Amino acid sequence: MSQNDTRAYLASARAWLAEQAPAYSGAARRGLSVEEDLALGRRWLHLKSEHGYAAITMPKIYGGGGGTEIEKVIFTNEENNYDLPTGYFGISLGMPVPMLLKYASEEVLRELVPPAIRGEQIWCQLFSEPAAGSDLAALTMRATPDGDGWRLNGQKLWTSWAQYSDWGVVVVRTDPTVPKHAGLTYFYVDMKSPGVEVRVIPKLAGESEINEVFFNDVFVPDAQRMGGVGGGFKVAMETLMIERYAVSDEAVGGISVEKFVDLAMRTRINGQPALADGEVRRLIADTVAERQGLRSIHRRAMAAIAAGTEPGPEGAIRKLLGARRRQQVSAVAMDLLGVDGVIMTEGAQPTEDFTESWIESPPLRIAGGSDEILRNTIAEKVLGLPQDHRPDKGIPFNKLS
Amino acid sequence: MNFDFSADQKELADHARRFLGESCTFDRLRDNMAGEEAYDRSLWQQMVELGWTAINIPEAQGGLGMGSLELCLLSEEVGRVLAPVPFFSTVCLGAHILNQLGQESLREQYLPPIAAGESVVAVALMPGLGQLEYADGCASGALGPVAWLGAADLLISRARDNHGTECLVLIDAKHATVARRNIDGVVLDGLVRHGQAEFSATPARLLASGDEARRLIELALAQAAILTAFEQLGGAQACCEMARDYSLERYTFGRVIGGYQAIKHKLADVQVEIELARSNAYYGAWALATDAAELARAAALARISATEAFTLAAEENLQVHGGIGYTWEANCHFYYQRARLLAINYGNADYWSQQLLAGLQAAH
Amino acid sequence: MDFNDSAEEAAFRAEVRAWLQQNASDYTEPLALRQGDPRIAEMGRSWQKQKAKGGFAAISWPVEAGGRGASPIEEVIFAEEEGRYHVPVGPFVGIGINLAVPTIRAHGTPEQIEKFARPTLLGEILWCQLFSEPGAGSDLAAVRTRATRDGDDWLVNGQKVWTSWAHTADWGIMLARTDPEQAKHKGLSFFLVDMRSAGIDVRPIRSISGESEFNEVFLTDVRIPDSQRLGAVGDGWKVAMTTLMNERASAADQSQSLPDVESLLAALGEQGRAANTRQLASLYAREQGLKYFGLRQLTRLSQGGNPDPISVMSKLVYANLLQDVSALGLDALGLPGAFAGRENHEAKKFQYGYQWSAALRIAGGADEILRNQIAERVLGLPGEIRSDKGVPFSQLPVGR
Repeated sequence: MSQNDTRAYLASARAWLAEQAPAYSGAARRGLSVEEDLALGRRWLHLKSEHGYAAITMPKIYGGGGGTEIEKVIFTNEENNYDLPTGYFGISLGMPVPMLLKYASEEVLRELVPPAIRGEQIWCQLFSEPAAGSDLAALTMRATPDGDGWRLNGQKLWTSWAQYSDWGVVVVRTDPTVPKHAGLTYFYVDMKSPGVEVRVIPKLAGESEINEVFFNDVFVPDAQRMGGVGGGFKVAMETLMIERYAVSDEAVGGISVEKFVDLAMRTRINGQPALADGEVRRLIADTVAERQGLRSIHRRAMAAIAAGTEPGPEGAIRKLLGARRRQQVSAVAMDLLGVDGVIMTEGAQPTEDFTESWIESPPLRIAGGSDEILRNTIAEKVLGLPQDHRPDKGIPFNKLS
Repeated sequence: MNFDFSADQKELADHARRFLGESCTFDRLRDNMAGEEAYDRSLWQQMVELGWTAINIPEAQGGLGMGSLELCLLSEEVGRVLAPVPFFSTVCLGAHILNQLGQESLREQYLPPIAAGESVVAVALMPGLGQLEYADGCASGALGPVAWLGAADLLISRARDNHGTECLVLIDAKHATVARRNIDGVVLDGLVRHGQAEFSATPARLLASGDEARRLIELALAQAAILTAFEQLGGAQACCEMARDYSLERYTFGRVIGGYQAIKHKLADVQVEIELARSNAYYGAWALATDAAELARAAALARISATEAFTLAAEENLQVHGGIGYTWEANCHFYYQRARLLAINYGNADYWSQQLLAGLQAAH
Repeated sequence: MDFNDSAEEAAFRAEVRAWLQQNASDYTEPLALRQGDPRIAEMGRSWQKQKAKGGFAAISWPVEAGGRGASPIEEVIFAEEEGRYHVPVGPFVGIGINLAVPTIRAHGTPEQIEKFARPTLLGEILWCQLFSEPGAGSDLAAVRTRATRDGDDWLVNGQKVWTSWAHTADWGIMLARTDPEQAKHKGLSFFLVDMRSAGIDVRPIRSISGESEFNEVFLTDVRIPDSQRLGAVGDGWKVAMTTLMNERASAADQSQSLPDVESLLAALGEQGRAANTRQLASLYAREQGLKYFGLRQLTRLSQGGNPDPISVMSKLVYANLLQDVSALGLDALGLPGAFAGRENHEAKKFQYGYQWSAALRIAGGADEILRNQIAERVLGLPGEIRSDKGVPFSQLPVGR
């Protein structure tokens, strides 16, 4: 894609969004219940699918945009400038559906992919378990053979949007007698099957998207297996890597530094305008400088994608710094707000309310690779340092303590 | 030199810890949050029976006549379990302020009910939380958010008289002219119920005005800072222990996560911050108990260190717990939110930093 | 809770003050001597002798050892009072008084104690500590310096590094490997070395401050009589632990020539203070917290308690604080401060503090080792996975 093509794409995407997005974002979302917001999100996705902006990189025959990776990144970047109800479909279209494209038959694809792209159906990803988070291969949920299929028993945890999902992809243990990475198998499963029970997990604040999902003798046909028996870990890793570069907004879903500057203009520290305070100024300067640095990393990744190569592991830096920064800036904002900060705006988004932005920052430091795991990634993949000692290597799963 | 609490004082703290450990469980905190009552009345009643509401009230007014050192230790234990009771505002501040008053008749009237647990006090001392105008025995204006204002029997507040002079007034919070409500809904820390109120010509007793009022407020703020620091210390220590225990139970890649340096060093740093905060808090306790000339400096030191320690401990406790730490089911969030509330309550870090440096500059 | 001296403490303080008034007043601001200048150690020797006459030479030693049997609080009182004068105290004398002789008293023969204790007390023997090596720092038990039996003697070959004041020392305490076929902690023995023996070559290390307090010490066929072995053959690690416990207890000595937060406040000026209020308050709270932490530990010791394992945090906090304070001070002074000569005491303090803090974060237990100790001994978290456990020393992999 040439520079000119890129510019033209950006211009048309920007114009289209300017025309369409306001009716689905900002004021249009205020005061909506989660169900109403989800319905609005489905309509937005449907509209995008009619204009080639839904699932931009997926083939047109299934309702995708038939576009390139760089177009997707450009569009998502622009879309992030609006506060649109896209969160419900991020995982669905980001990981399970692309995996289907790799592993499912043509017949299955024609049946299942279009409704997902149009927002009529949602897919979830059933990976983590109570004792398997950072260490995914430690999962214990079992699948045992039963006729032309499998019986699934066990529990999944942290499954985002499971409560609204129609389908899910799941990794389970089919052989506990081999080392832990080798005994896993990957399936897609109908979330409405008998024996599937979804329970919402309440969070510290706000509506919860996270769930526990219990499987009680759930039957899954062998035809829904993705990859070989025992090949599940590899497919799971492919799933996690498939989104080669996750585009997040610069304030990682929290309040922007510009809004913090606004706040510092109208609050005071010890009687002086907060914006005149040396340390507040330094925090703003540090935040902006860091954002600028992260933009450079982002640009390098874009260039890599545009050139058809893989973006490097330094993408991990973005989430590591961004999440910590959001927590810090929001906490200072709460200091500026004083005791008034204890009252939050009902139904406010973290992009509008500092207290909300602060309360919802911890999971950003945990989900999708915790700070500690990301530091390991940077140490190992960027700097070439050795991996932490792992005493479970090569030991059959059922012999582990 | 002896920089430690006495054996008797430590025994009091041990006893308090055992009592609160059994009677103020996390389940109880959840019940309190879900319930209608502003505070946990039966826990409060038990504390009254143990004499905690009488601890710093002179024997002549039905109290136990103990000093602020005991109060420091109890505050730490209350902070450790996040007890949802108005101990801080009633005992640590309310009884303290009333006890400083020159007029014996006021002390005679208001201290015995506090000692007997019949009177809950809300206190509004920080500027910026509304304003009361005082004139001819009446106060008017609006206040809030103020901790326990919705449930209190008495309110002690800063006010200004019609000459603009700073004064300190006492109000019957249940009086018909007080329109008050609990702030419910989405709040930062639902365990410390805050209230708002409007006052229209509400009868008010003038406790002090001018220099005397400023002196009392300054003293009360130092008391608030040091006792809050002990509360923060208790919370921070609880977080560190929770995180340590969890890191010894949770396995990843075949080892407990507490064996990885990423976690070990994180928790070592938390413990170091706690020890620094504890040392400054002890210095504050000494300054408070001896009414030392360094009280203002000691208060700022205690508060600054304790805020840093509790903030770090609460954030990292949640982090060490991973995803489960962010759920309502786990207990990390109680501390995470309390740490933030205490960081901004009664003067945030900016306020106390400014106080500390101004004091150091004046000393030169 | 009481900050004031007890009656006995006050009496002791008065006695110390009177004696120092008489004896220490002549000492003036140390000459423009660089750290490590041998003249400093010679001055230290004579001050030590003078203290011995007054009965203050080794106040922490038990009375039967010629000390004063002072309580930990009295020790601090003496140090506080002594610190008001410009007398030459430092590791050149301290290693002998605080590390070498206490170790000899714990593990030595009556002859060894007789030979070394009193001369050390009188400043006649200065000591150095031959522990660290190029391949054995945080992992001290990895020392490779070899001692092989040769009749009644031992022949020692190897290299030590970071040896403070080796260039002025008369004797050294040394950890060496006597059996490489044992696991690494088991094959070590402990020796007392005459620093004037043939085959000892002391070479100063120029540090980042340009000064030379540390040395490399090369040992080539150095002959040590078996009578100078301290403790049994193979017990070297146990003996060294005694030394290290004493070292930790006396770490975090703060020199007058290092900056503190008050000097930082002065250097920043009103504008600088206003622009950094929160950070300065935080640094000051750390500094004061550390001071009161010390008093809490002291109270514990004076009540007969053992040292608290958390007490290793003093050096960890202090070294990092010193680095932060010095860096901010240099920021405030700008280029004129960075290039100020030694006549500018204020600027020199921040320069030296910035340089020394880098060493202090490593010496006597690196930050990372201390964090491990706190995690393991205070919080009860698991020890590090050590792949060298139980492996004969000679079979361990060696890196740079």
